[in-house]
Amino acid sequence: MYEFLHYQVRDAMTADPVAISPYTKLREVEALFEAHDFNGVPVVDDQWHLHGILTKFDLLKAFCFDAHALVPHYDEIMEQTAETVMTRTPVSVEPQLPLSRLLQKLIEMRIKSLPVVENGRLVGIIAREDVLKALRRAAIQHEIPAHEEPQP
Amino acid sequence: MTTLLYTHPACLEHDTGFGHPECPARLTAILNVLKTTPFAALEWRDAPQATDEQLTRIHTLAHVERLFARIPRHGHYAIDGDTVISPQSGEAALRSAGAVCAAVEAILNGEANNAFCAIRPPGHHAESHQAMGFCLFNNAAIGAAHARQIGGLERVAVIDFDVHHGNGTQAAFEHDPGYLYISTHQAHIYPGTGRRDERGVGNIINIPLMANSGAAELRQAWQQDIEPALRQFQPQLILISAGFDAHYLDPLAGLNFSEDDYAWLTRHILAVAQDCCEGRVVSMLEGGYNLPALAASVAAHVKALMEIHRMAQRSLIKDILERQKAKRNP
Repeated sequence: MYEFLHYQVRDAMTADPVAISPYTKLREVEALFEAHDFNGVPVVDDQWHLHGILTKFDLLKAFCFDAHALVPHYDEIMEQTAETVMTRTPVSVEPQLPLSRLLQKLIEMRIKSLPVVENGRLVGIIAREDVLKALRRAAIQHEIPAHEEPQP
Repeated sequence: MTTLLYTHPACLEHDTGFGHPECPARLTAILNVLKTTPFAALEWRDAPQATDEQLTRIHTLAHVERLFARIPRHGHYAIDGDTVISPQSGEAALRSAGAVCAAVEAILNGEANNAFCAIRPPGHHAESHQAMGFCLFNNAAIGAAHARQIGGLERVAVIDFDVHHGNGTQAAFEHDPGYLYISTHQAHIYPGTGRRDERGVGNIINIPLMANSGAAELRQAWQQDIEPALRQFQPQLILISAGFDAHYLDPLAGLNFSEDDYAWLTRHILAVAQDCCEGRVVSMLEGGYNLPALAASVAAHVKALMEIHRMAQRSLIKDILERQKAKRNP
């Protein structure tokens, strides 16, 4: 397990992740969620600057009862763009953050994945599954057995 | 007057096993930085071995003997899940405690204003009868007891900014009002002690910080708790248990201090030391497990220790100039 302490976010993240633009229609976002096992997708501009993240919760949020309509209209809502429901100023992490700290952050915030940002640009996504995989990898490393007896 | 640097090659030979975070490379990273030009004014000294007399002011003789009996001829022996010793660990532990004792003596002799001990194994978890949490002997407590004994000091303070609570130092001091122990640490992590209501005989000041605390919480702790307690106590010597694992890149905990915060805190401790005890400060390494962050933090800390001399020199020159001016224009 000591090996895990050496891991950084960059060692476990998915690099060059799928991302959408602020003008992507919610219909396309829904199709993305349907096709992949994403918890959310980052929202970036042409320069890959992170503008927000759109999670499944954000998508559901579009269907909450509000002042616009008595009953939400599916087709109308699916024509909206990502920027209308995305989480703005999302929490992000840097690639050199120790993975042990990322793990704490996921637990504290009860979130499933986080965008990874370097110099303002999106470089990856790190999710619970990535951390689990890294833990498994670290556990394979050699460990000192507890209470190993001194040599005579 | 310069800053003294105590260390010893034996501290690099304490082998904790493959991948262990408390590894020799920590000290190598620190020494490499301290060998660079900005630190040329440091006066390097070899740490002597601590004596049984020095150790047993804090530890039971049984603890010392049991520790040496467990040192393996080769390989490793795990005292607990994380506290591992190897053939050279005994000497490293003696040099670490000895470094602090020697530094205390040098500072009390007026050989320098302050000193930094670049040592491992660390010490602040070690209790009178028990090695634990990577620590074998309690270097800070041994140094404080040494100051009381050989210097005849009545009041010695230890400030501990390692991210973990120094249960061992607290246990050594909690019944003796001649010691003041002040600790900032992350709440609810190892070793589980360090609640605010653990106050000893009024001489223990614990400031647990919630995860993700950083510069703002540190400054608040200084203003509300640390500085008032220090000034009220009027220490004759200040020791620092300098762990750098509250750094925002450290993998073992969740506080967010930066190099600048360590420099800031060091300067503020020195300012109090200037007022209370002619600037007498002995600092020693405890934790810190991200090597680049550790090296940069120690550099910031030691630089602050060294700068106090330049500041003192500047104020001395200013005094002289003003006196000359006063003579010329009576």
